[in-house]
Amino acid sequence: MLELDGLSRRFGATVALDDMSFSVREGSLYGFVGRNGAGKTTTMRIVLGVLAADGGEVRWRGERVGRDERGRFGYMPEERGLYPKMPVVDQLKFFARLHGVAAREAEANARRLVDRLGLGDRARDPLESLSLGNQQRVQLAAALVHEPELLVLDEPFSGLDPPGVDVLADVLSERVRAGVAVLFSSHQLDLVERICDGVAIIEAGRLVAEGSVPELRETRAGRRWVVELEDVPGDWAAALPGRLVDDADGRAVVDLGEDGDEQALLDAARRAGRVRRFGPLEPTLADLFRDVVETRA
Amino acid sequence: MIGGREAIALVARREVVTRGRDRTFLISTLITLAIIAAIVLLPSLFGGGDDKATVAATPQALATAKAAKAVQGQFDVRIVPVRVGSDAAARTRVDDAEADLALVQGGRRIVASGGAPSGAVDALQAASRSRRALTALRASGADAATVQRVLAPRPLAVTQLDRDSDTRRAFAIIALFVLYGQILAYGVMVANGVVEEKASRIVEILLATIRPRELLAGKVLGIGLLALGQLLLTGVVGLGLAALSGQVDVGARELSVLPIVLAWFVLGFALYACAYAMGGALVSRQEDVNSATTPLTMAILVSLVLGLQAGQHADGSLAQVLSILPVSSPLVMPVRMVAGDVPVAEVALAVLLILAAIVVVVRLAGRMYGSAVLQTGGKLSLRTALGRSS
Repeated sequence: MLELDGLSRRFGATVALDDMSFSVREGSLYGFVGRNGAGKTTTMRIVLGVLAADGGEVRWRGERVGRDERGRFGYMPEERGLYPKMPVVDQLKFFARLHGVAAREAEANARRLVDRLGLGDRARDPLESLSLGNQQRVQLAAALVHEPELLVLDEPFSGLDPPGVDVLADVLSERVRAGVAVLFSSHQLDLVERICDGVAIIEAGRLVAEGSVPELRETRAGRRWVVELEDVPGDWAAALPGRLVDDADGRAVVDLGEDGDEQALLDAARRAGRVRRFGPLEPTLADLFRDVVETRA
Repeated sequence: MIGGREAIALVARREVVTRGRDRTFLISTLITLAIIAAIVLLPSLFGGGDDKATVAATPQALATAKAAKAVQGQFDVRIVPVRVGSDAAARTRVDDAEADLALVQGGRRIVASGGAPSGAVDALQAASRSRRALTALRASGADAATVQRVLAPRPLAVTQLDRDSDTRRAFAIIALFVLYGQILAYGVMVANGVVEEKASRIVEILLATIRPRELLAGKVLGIGLLALGQLLLTGVVGLGLAALSGQVDVGARELSVLPIVLAWFVLGFALYACAYAMGGALVSRQEDVNSATTPLTMAILVSLVLGLQAGQHADGSLAQVLSILPVSSPLVMPVRMVAGDVPVAEVALAVLLILAAIVVVVRLAGRMYGSAVLQTGGKLSLRTALGRSS
């Protein structure tokens, strides 16, 4: 288990992280969500030891993370970068060896990954001759080549074409099944919702929500209701109780808050016209994100 | 997980392998070798030093011309006797510039063209004098032993001071230029390598695995080994060609130039390469490398100029001081050591001081590298960079 325990970090007068704590289990895919500048990259850099924390600590399998532990981590930074003129396989071999993999094994791992990522015929080419999408696949391979126990990926899906997204998602779930812990950040909330076992939402350096997507939904369950009417006057929705979230073509979404009375809402709707549909609305991760981030903003 | 030493070795190995394979490196090595070969071989190809003089001589005068050839070494000239049928034919040769000199009237007159080497005339005069003296002595009835004593007296014993100081000075200047070029070129290569890793952002993955100072040490070591190899090759080829061409006698003194140059290259490169790495870590773009490393380049250039002076006055007090100061010692001390004799104590002091300077710069560079190398955009001030490491 990767545990982040009360991490804090300042840059001058700016507080980048404030008491950041959450954990990622082995064999799980953990999504890290937040606005630009919320502190995702800073958190990941601290986990990898590229940046030092002002306070708090990072533990892996109960041990405070040091050089030995980090040797078993794989990292894909947000700002991608490899040696432009170095052949793909040599590059991967170099990174495997830096993580302590023996030469022969490093070569075998590099070859296997390059094939797995569909770059087998480009193995000897210099990186700069590959398309940007393919360079990104090599970047992922560089994070995987030493078969790490923990993968930390900063925006791994950005810049990928749809097939690339699928390949990456497949590779990640493969690793998760093999028992690897994966922490990745993304702005593609639908994707995070679809593939992640757990999610952390952060805002302004603080953790604002954490748990599995169903758990997060649970915290908001029963708050939102959808009402659909036939042949309605233009401003009918304004008369409904609760906070109007969405209103279009006779369909209204209303947030009733924690202890809302949905029966009162139904009564109000019936007064406005013929109710065709009425029921609770399952929030998407995007909804949840908007909720927690907006209510704090 | 790998240890620090292993990390340094891996980084160094990558530098050697990728740069050693690079075509520009191979080409620059070949060009360096060509320049060294040219410096060594050109003077002998153009007959440098000894002038050649063709002497047209009639059969009666031919013996004198041949005798002149026998003593040509004393006159820094090379005599090539050519036999011609008559005085007129000999003159024609000179007129047509086919010969530089003609020996006519049975060897009693020298006809010299305007461009004839004066040494050739002297050689002919000397040869003729000896021959006539021999003839006169024999005519007077002197015995062979007397003739021998008179004409070929035992030469004076010579105690030569500083026999080959010119050669040594020439070696010192070549060593100086080679060191200058090598430290500057490979120092800049280190700075560019640092910026390359910074600009391509690969440094973030590297630093997630190894420590900044290991990355720095591996880079300096790898590029240094490459430079050292090139230097060794250049030195061996240069000395080998010099020996083969017979330009200079390559003895122990000349061979000692190579270890002196190599040792001072290692010291000078260690100092300057770490400083160049610091310069590279301060900037984010390749275009800014030059401005960030200008002070270092100036320091090396000034050392070169002062080193040239030291080559002329190896024992002057300016040369003495500069050969001990760590900034200039990598260029000035080897010049003094090659050109003259430097007291062991001075060499030891210079080595100690530069080692101390290397320790300081390595510490500073390691610390700065850690904090500066992740910063992108714009140029960092030295103070910010040294202030806080990540």
